[in-house]
Amino acid sequence: MKWYLVKRLFLIIPTFLGITLITYFMIRLAPGDYTTLKAGLQGELRSGSIGREILEQEKKLYGLDKPIYTGYFEWVSKFIMLDFGVSRKDGRPVSTHIAEALPITLTLNILSIIIVYIISIPVGIMSAVKKDTLYDRLSSLVLFILYSLPTFWVGLLLLMYLSGGEYFDLFPLSGIQSDWAYKLTPYQKFMDLVWHLVLPVITLTYSGFAFLSRYTRANMLEVINQQYIITARAKGLSNYKVIFVHAFRNSLIPLVTLMATLLPALLGGSVIVESIFTIPGMGKLAFDSILARDIPVIMAIASISALLTLAGILLADVVYGLVDPRIRLEAKL
Amino acid sequence: MSKRKGYWNNVWKEFKKNSLSVTGLVVVAILFMIAIFAPLLANNKPYIYITDDDVYFPIIIDYEEFRGRDLKKDQFEGFKIFPPIPYSYSEYDLDAIVLPPSSAHILGTDEQGRDLAARMIYGARVSIFIGFVAVFIYVSIGILVGALAGYYAGWVDMVISRIIEIVMCFPTFFLILTILALWGPSLLSVMVVIGITGWTGIARIVRGEFFKLREQDYVIASRALGARDLWIIFKHILPNALAPVLVSATFGIATTILVESSLSFLGFGVQPPTPSWGDILSQSRDFMDFAWWLTMIPGIAIFITITSYNLVGEGIQDAIDPKSYRR
Repeated sequence: MKWYLVKRLFLIIPTFLGITLITYFMIRLAPGDYTTLKAGLQGELRSGSIGREILEQEKKLYGLDKPIYTGYFEWVSKFIMLDFGVSRKDGRPVSTHIAEALPITLTLNILSIIIVYIISIPVGIMSAVKKDTLYDRLSSLVLFILYSLPTFWVGLLLLMYLSGGEYFDLFPLSGIQSDWAYKLTPYQKFMDLVWHLVLPVITLTYSGFAFLSRYTRANMLEVINQQYIITARAKGLSNYKVIFVHAFRNSLIPLVTLMATLLPALLGGSVIVESIFTIPGMGKLAFDSILARDIPVIMAIASISALLTLAGILLADVVYGLVDPRIRLEAKL
Repeated sequence: MSKRKGYWNNVWKEFKKNSLSVTGLVVVAILFMIAIFAPLLANNKPYIYITDDDVYFPIIIDYEEFRGRDLKKDQFEGFKIFPPIPYSYSEYDLDAIVLPPSSAHILGTDEQGRDLAARMIYGARVSIFIGFVAVFIYVSIGILVGALAGYYAGWVDMVISRIIEIVMCFPTFFLILTILALWGPSLLSVMVVIGITGWTGIARIVRGEFFKLREQDYVIASRALGARDLWIIFKHILPNALAPVLVSATFGIATTILVESSLSFLGFGVQPPTPSWGDILSQSRDFMDFAWWLTMIPGIAIFITITSYNLVGEGIQDAIDPKSYRR
């Protein structure tokens, strides 16, 4: 276990370099260097209304005056020191932007993951216990339909029918708090937040139910056929005890690894959900900076979220090894 | 060889037992037909146009004298047979903007007075085409990379596994958006970008299968007979590793269609005037309050397409391994 951890931690280094290399080269090798991509700059340059020296200044600011390898090296060394540069849109440090956006997205995503787990695990267990009954088929079908509904469409429909417009005016149209939030008591503030989060969280979660409950069902079915469950039944334990004490705990193990794979998917989903509901989180920050060609922000988001995911995978692997001693970690490398 | 055929025959027999999956396959086939025959289903030119002294086939042959003319106008007298949707996807009519479904426009019109049915039919082309080509690209990459890692193991596997890990770490959708923003979105770039970012899943599956199969007797026998590595990889091992790839690829097409429509929805997909379902949905946002057909029809189309591919994938999965209840 110890050696596995050490090896694993060492392997982070090449992965980290790979992540930063891809990020940097993807941006640097894009056609037309990005200082000229800034809206209109190319045209202005051609018409001669801005001088060469402004362009040179811009280039210098983003390390474009140096050869690509030196540029990469400088960027990475700054990155390691947590210096992500400044946003070219408003000149504020990228780290400030991220510090503002990350908590919002994390709240949204952690809340969503919790809700997905709370709903799908019981549904999955019930399906496994009542395998091939009407309940099993019906819940599979409903979850299957939910799984296939495009997120952006559902988000749009929720907005259209439940947030003002011609139909019901139950939920706010955008943001995560009301304009008058500063006047509210802490409790009211909390309720205001919940009120704003209902639709985005629904949009983020509904498609996750299918995957996780199917997964739980499959694991549960596998566990139920194990000999120790048969033993437990043979010694006369109640069905309830067999399911919840013996089977359930063991079927939970694979769900641990799933957390790691869920995270990047949710972050990707945030781009769409946050854009639709105008939530100032990482997803919207990412999308806005792509629209504005705000390179320093894009680079920081790409590499930071990749690193977070890497940490997630690592954590899941280690936890997996801890909760299930049968797994030989050395073999997994 | 005949043994292989027997295997896939069995898979097909099992697949046919699942009526939902067969329905999915039928829907996919219909969508293919719609995509292939789009110009015959929605076109502002008639199939056949008979005047007093001549017979024309305007869809098949491009007549000089009709170029830029609207043959629907009464000034062109004679006998005409039009396609079921007598509009092209880019033909606009500013006197008929945002009209609800009617006998003239069976699915209504959009904000430029373009016929929604025609746009939906051509949009099917984009979805089907991108789904297939992008998945083909990443399945090819995934098989190649996974086979190398699984067959050679050792340090080759070590390096490839690191690369897979690196690519997996990036939030794919964000990566795709960024590349498209910098390189410029187009039909080709959307397919290529989805293709080069999506291969890790397939690579891991193939790698795992190769690990299982590389020590099988028939592989060792083949090696003992002096077969070259490439021969063993592609002739002996790969055919036995293809079943799970097929399942994953089918689900992958569904995901790709979803990704493509999301990209179009955000404005980073196929560019106008080429219609795409996601783009139609995105345009509908301004008329959401009353133009329900502009939101519902493309949404339902995307939903049905994705569901069908998922049903087919599920069916193949059950057929390949009837015992499996895994996704």
